This record gives sequence, C-alpha cells and structure tokens, in this order.
Amino acid sequence: MNIQFTLNGARMDLEVDPDRSVADILREDLHLTGTKIGCDTQDCGVCSILLDDRLVKACGLTARHLDGHGVLTIEGVGGPDGEVSDLQAAFLDEGAVQCGYCIPAMVLAGEALLRRNPAPSRDDIRRGLATVLCRCTGYQQIVDAVAVTARARQAARTTEVVR
Amino acid sequence: MSELKVIGKRSRSEDGLEKVTGKARYIADYAVPGMLMAKVLRSPVPHAWIRELDVTPALQVPGVVAVATADDFVDHGLWGWPIKDAYALAWRKVRYVGDGVAVVAAESEAAALAGIRAIRVAYEPLPVVSDIHRALDPESAVVPDTEAPGQGNLAGRHLVRNGDPDPILAASDVVLEESYFFKHQEHAYTETEGALAIPEPGGGLTVYANDQSPFINRNNLAMLLGLPDTKVRVIQAHVGGSFGGKDDIGYQTCAQAGALALKTGRPVRLILNRSESLIASYKREAMDVRVRLGASADGTLQAARVVLRADSGAYSSMTPLSAWRASMHAAGPYRYQAVQVDADLVYTNNGYSGAYRGFGNPQAIGAIEQAVDELADRLKRDPIDLRLQNCLRDQDVTMTGNRLNQAVPLAECLTWVRERSDWDRKRQRYAEGQSGRVRRGIGVACYFHGSSLGGEGADYATMTVSIDEHGLVTLTTGLTDYGQGSRTVYMLVLAEALGIEKRRIRIPRPDTQTAVESGPTVASRASMLGGNATRVTAEKIKQILNWAAADALHCRPDQIHRDGELFISPSEEHLSFDEVVRHAREMGLSLYAQGKWEMPKFHWDFDTGTGVPYHCYTFGAQVAEVEVDLDSGWTRVLGIWATHAGGRVLFPQGAFGQLYGGIAQGIGYALTENVSFHDGYPQAIDLNRYHVPNALEVPPIDGHFIEYDHVDGPYGALNMAEPTMISTAPAIANALFQATGKRWRKFPLTPKVILTGSDDPDRIGEAECRKALGLMD
Repeated sequence: MNIQFTLNGARMDLEVDPDRSVADILREDLHLTGTKIGCDTQDCGVCSILLDDRLVKACGLTARHLDGHGVLTIEGVGGPDGEVSDLQAAFLDEGAVQCGYCIPAMVLAGEALLRRNPAPSRDDIRRGLATVLCRCTGYQQIVDAVAVTARARQAARTTEVVR
Repeated sequence: MSELKVIGKRSRSEDGLEKVTGKARYIADYAVPGMLMAKVLRSPVPHAWIRELDVTPALQVPGVVAVATADDFVDHGLWGWPIKDAYALAWRKVRYVGDGVAVVAAESEAAALAGIRAIRVAYEPLPVVSDIHRALDPESAVVPDTEAPGQGNLAGRHLVRNGDPDPILAASDVVLEESYFFKHQEHAYTETEGALAIPEPGGGLTVYANDQSPFINRNNLAMLLGLPDTKVRVIQAHVGGSFGGKDDIGYQTCAQAGALALKTGRPVRLILNRSESLIASYKREAMDVRVRLGASADGTLQAARVVLRADSGAYSSMTPLSAWRASMHAAGPYRYQAVQVDADLVYTNNGYSGAYRGFGNPQAIGAIEQAVDELADRLKRDPIDLRLQNCLRDQDVTMTGNRLNQAVPLAECLTWVRERSDWDRKRQRYAEGQSGRVRRGIGVACYFHGSSLGGEGADYATMTVSIDEHGLVTLTTGLTDYGQGSRTVYMLVLAEALGIEKRRIRIPRPDTQTAVESGPTVASRASMLGGNATRVTAEKIKQILNWAAADALHCRPDQIHRDGELFISPSEEHLSFDEVVRHAREMGLSLYAQGKWEMPKFHWDFDTGTGVPYHCYTFGAQVAEVEVDLDSGWTRVLGIWATHAGGRVLFPQGAFGQLYGGIAQGIGYALTENVSFHDGYPQAIDLNRYHVPNALEVPPIDGHFIEYDHVDGPYGALNMAEPTMISTAPAIANALFQATGKRWRKFPLTPKVILTGSDDPDRIGEAECRKALGLMD
C-alpha cells in the first residue's frame, strides 16, 4: 500500500505493508530509533508518538492509519540544528531523566498535553502522562518539567499580548 | 565544605541530552551488517527431565542458520556465583517456566520464531516444588541436580547471634509474635534484556550488553565459551533500567548470543520480549518472616528473635547474599539486649530469584516495621513515639552487636516526617472514628541499611583519568550507569577535585578493554566506591598538573593555588588549564592516572553469626497517608513524606530522583505488583497482569535529605538508591491498619486481598505460558 503522511514536518511517500506496526516502520525502515519498544502489547506506552497532536502507541498503530496524517516523533521535537525544545530543556533541568528509555515518550506526552491544555494543573499533567510507564523516576520531576514549561510558555504568551 | 563549587549544586545529568533527544542507543538500537536475530526456546513447564531435544527440524526452517544448546558451552554451561548451580541453557532438566532450552539464530525474527517452534523437545514431568514451607520435607522433589550446597532443596543458611533473646522474651511484659509474607517482585525495567554479540578475527568476541557489571559478564562469557578473558570484550550500551535485575539473566542472554556468534561467524542480536522478560528473568525473592519481639510495659524493646525463609527458586543466583542482608537487618534499627536471627533459603520451581533494589532489606524492614506498629497498638502508644523511644542513636549498638561510630540521624528523620506530614493532627483525626465507604489512615516506617557490599566480599573501585591535547579530560570506569546517575556523580567529583569545567569531561561507555576491573555495579555502591576512586584518581593527576604549572611559573608545586581553572603562583602570575596541559605535554609528562579506593576492612563470621556486617549505615523514615475504598478494595496513596540520611548529597536532582523512584517501586510492592506462582506456573505473564504504578498512582512526595559529612564518603557521601524504597510498603500497610483496623501481614495488598484476605484466583497454566513464550499462537 502507498501511504503519504508528514513525518516531523517532512512529506513522506512510502510503499508499505498496511498491517505493519508504525513502531516497526519508524525503527526498522526509517531508522528513527528514538521511538522505543517496551512491550509491543500497548501496555507500557514507551513507544508513544504524536499523530496529529494526539498521543498514540506506535506499537498498536498500523501503517494504514498514517495515510494523510501528521506524525511527530522525538527526532522532530527539537530545533533544526539539534537544539532542544523548552520542554526537553526542562526535563534536563528538573532531573526528570534517569535511564532514559521512557523519556522520548514522556516528552511527547508532555507536548501533547501542552498543545491541548496550555495551563494544566499538576493532576492534569499526571493524567496526561498516565499512559506512559516510567520505572525509574516516580514521575515527580517529569511532572515538574511539564509544569515549568507550561508556566514559561504562558508567560511568553502574556508578554506577546502585552507587546 | 562551604567552598565546594559543583558538588551539591544543581546540575544537568551527564548523559541527559542524548536521552531527551532520543539519540541514546540501547541494545535494540544497534544494528550491524550481516546481523542475525536470535530467539530462545523456553520451557513451558516448571519441572521436568528433558528426555529428547532434537534441533535438526529447526535447521530445516528457511532462514534459520544455527541452533545452540547446553552442549555448546563448556561443562554444559554450568555457572553461577556464589553457588554454581545454573546453566546458560538448561542441561538434562528444566527447573522453572521460562528456563532456556535452546537458542536459534536466523535471518529474521520471524524465522527465529519458526525455528524454536520446530525444535522437538520431550519433557518428562517431575513433581513441582512450589511451597517454601514444604520444600525441605524429606518427600519433596529436589530441584538442583548439581552438587548440593546444603542438602535437598536447602540452598543456604544465615544466622545472627547477639546474646540469648529467649530468657529476655520470657520475662518481657509484652511479646508479639507474627509472620509476614512477601511475594516476589519483578523489576519491570522499561527496556528488556538484550545482547549483541559480534565475532572478532582470531576467535574473539565483542558483546554489547545491558547488564550492570561488565567485567563479571566478561569473565562468565569467557568461562562458558572456553575463551581466555583477553578475547572477550564487553561494552555497556545505554541501559534502560535495571534495579539489580539485569545481571544474571543478562549474563545468560549474552552467553546465548555469544555462542551463536561464534558458531555462525556472524553478529547475533538477542532481545527478550516483554512476556519472556516477565517469565524468564529473576525476581526479588518471596520471603516469609516470623518475628518474636519483646518489650517492657513502658514500651522499651528488650529482645527479638527472627526466623526467615527465602524462596530462591530454581537457581540460587544472588539469594544467598540477599538473604544474608535480610538477616543483618531483620530486627530493625532499634536497641536490644539480645537478638538472634535464623534464615534459610530454599530451592523451588517458582521462577528464580536474585538481586532487586534493597536486596532482602525490603522484607526484613517490611516485617519488623509492621511488628513494631502492632506493638505500638497493643501498648496504646503513638507509633512514632514508640520508635523514637527505641531507635538507634549516636554510639548505640545495633541488632548485630556493633557500636555505631558515625552520625545516626534516625530520630531526626522520624521527627522531620512527623512534622511535615502533619502526623499528630491526622493521626488523631483518623482515629476518631470513621464511617462510610472510604476510610483514611496514616502510617510510618523507618529503616537502616548497611552501606555497599558489607561482609559479602571485596569492595573496591578503580578509575582512570587522562587529559588530551585539547584539554579534554576522559574518565574510564568499569561501573555502569543504568539510570541511577553515577556518571553524573563522577563528572561532578572530577570537576570538583580537578577544579575544571564540567564541559571538559568525557566518560566513554564502560568497556572491559579500556576500563579497569572494579567489581560489580550493585549494592548502591557506585557513588561511594566509584566517587572515592574518582577523587583519588583526580588528586593524582592534579599533582602532575601542579608540577607542570610550578615548572612554568617558577615556583614549588605546593605553592600553586587555584582560582577556577587558573593555576596561580605566589607572585600572582597565572596560567590557564589549557596552558598547563600544553606545558605538561612539552615536559613529556604523562597526563594519565589510575586510582583505586577500597572500603576499610572488617569481618563477619558466617559460621558463628557474629562480627561486623557493614562499615557504615544509612538511615531514614517515611510516612504514608492512604485512602481505601471498602467496597472495591482499592487503596490510593494520598501522599508520602520521606527523609533519608546518607551523608552528603552530591547531585541533588539525581538524589531526589532516586528517592521518588524508590518510593514508586515501594508503592507498587505494597499494593499492585503481584507475582504469583501456581504450581510453579507464573501468573504475571504480561504488563496487563503485572501492574506497575503509573503517574496517577504515585502521589506527590515530600522528600528531604538530612545531610552530614561521613569521613569515608567522597565529599562526605554514602549511598541511597536502594534504601529509599524499603520502608514505603510497611508505612502503607501501617496506614491501612489505621484506616481499616485490619492487618493482612502480606504484600501486595491488592483489592482482592483487602476485600477477601486471599490472593487473586490463579488462572495461568501451561497453555497460556506456551502462548506467552511464543511456542504457539
């Protein structure tokens, strides 16, 4: 099957088996190994990516569902010259990263939440992260990183409005 | 130590950037040309003779290149430490569901799967040993078939003999006697076990691995594959979590991939899928702990006798050592007149057990901290008051009879959590009678935890530091960072000791070809041992730099003083770090140093149960507030207040991360993480059945460190990764007692246990295990 979609802002035109998992296609065909596999059964969420700003588990998504949509993986989160996003920087500053295996998915979960809800409460943030398992951090510093980023983005928007 | 510049200050982690950008490479992210994919055929039955094992049908499967079995290893793959009782692949018999039987290398994962399904294997079932209390019965089937370390299913015994508690118990006003049961716990690291083995010219082997201890892995590989150590190179990839869990199963995985790489002459990658990982990997050992505790009417603890039995499972792995650590802590951080402990560990067909964060102490403290709470209830005493009355303080003597010559801030820890949690008010409010479906309670538990390996064995680390022509400073270490932050600790110690910017420091992945053997990365010892070794090495290379600076600045080396990276002479002339490096190179000085640090010597006598078990201890206390729904049985943790006293904090964000992460694992251990075996069949065969707490189930945590400088720590630091989780579960159980008036004396406290007192019904048998292991669709 021929599928067309945008991946991290670039137009893609692929000939693929429509039933293959998106996690496989990203990792094996496109060599985007930032999307991790933790279970392959949609239980752990560490393969999560954004599909049109919505957080989805790439291991449970088949290629046919990409056609006509926009995908964001961890490789597309930072700037074009490799600079990290404000949210990624907050993960680093808050000590939200330990083994790192769930972190690409956590960054994307945080990003999805902030796009949907620019001013989340800490409970909102926990709900937004709840489909991705982290075994190292106890989540608290990940919640901190998302909260700090939300406040900074709010402040930047306010400044913009004032200007 | 007010002059410290980077130690104790906020810092980004050394390897965080590659992780937040998704560029960090874990085993499954490595691919090399010609690479074969491997899959292990695992036993779907818990105990059986292998009467037939015919791999030839697998070799007929298109795409299959080779199959390895026990016969492909030296001595049929027999290995294990401290007891040599395990196999790289099962030989003659299988002893648990998930035991590896054969491993197939193929051109694709699909072909490898078809390969394991084609292997003909005939099992002759043996009686299953599943109940630890019947494992030593004379009529029980026997699990090990190697030379037995004890007899039958006994895998070892430990004891503590500190006086005679029995007459004191007989004379005590109050004696509490209860048993507490702890099920197994699964590490559930988000990355599963894996290996990439690459054959090298001349018969050697390079293995990319995700275990914890690369040099032990190398030595095992060499032994099992019949190679000299010098022909095996182990490189640690990024490791996606371990918590004690990726050593022995990791060594087996590496040996399986290694055998196939040597056999085929091609690179072989072997990654366990999640069900395999859950079924085949070792667990925290299940344990039954029987406590007899005597106190006077005024609440002063008098004596304790503890008997514990650990479920070692099919292989002993690290259970002999974790059961020893459990024994050394089994009466808790209290003053006693006499304590005796008797521990044994038994073989069963319940998976196999090994190292997991806390290493026996979650069960030891989990039991005694419920018992002390029960005693407080009987004596109508506040649980924190009773603990403060009895807890270890400076210069006190521990349950093993050792005087504490270090800071003992346990009372401060208890006081901190009491105040911060608003304990007194909440405790009273919840005690005033609650009605309705939803009840609340608040509970406490405290701990002590012996630092590093203790009496388990030689305890040292060795680092190297070199400086290149660009002024880059490279540190090599044989200790692995699997997420705990040890690389960042080394970076901070090196920057502090050498007076340099962090940006100069490079730490390559641990590699047995470039790093120096440093023992295992276990026992929360990376910061203390590795940090000290880093500091020793940095001091050595600093002397060389001072010598070069003195030569260039025409003064004596001891006259050089530093301001940031500047080297300054008595006449206030100065040179930059780069200028000093350049001058040292011109002088022909070698800018390389190797430094070792060893734990001070002490001795525990395993035969008499006396001596010194640990050089030093960390302490801490936690309060848990819970809410339980009496209709559904669901317990929600509303908050945790936690303080840990482990010397100086070197890397604050990392330290808090360890504290929060340990507590999250403690919450899972207390409430949801349920590893059951039914006649040897594992019930937790996927992450749907094994519930790891998510972001909504871990509450806000108020954490704190009571800091002091320990004389033997790097910049005063001891350790923390393991102890942070050990009092979470008993604090939750004690809170549930206040909420419900009931004690279950077992973990995990699942809704089913809360409602009915019994465990989940068992439903997983051989058919489900066959499916989960890929043997059928």
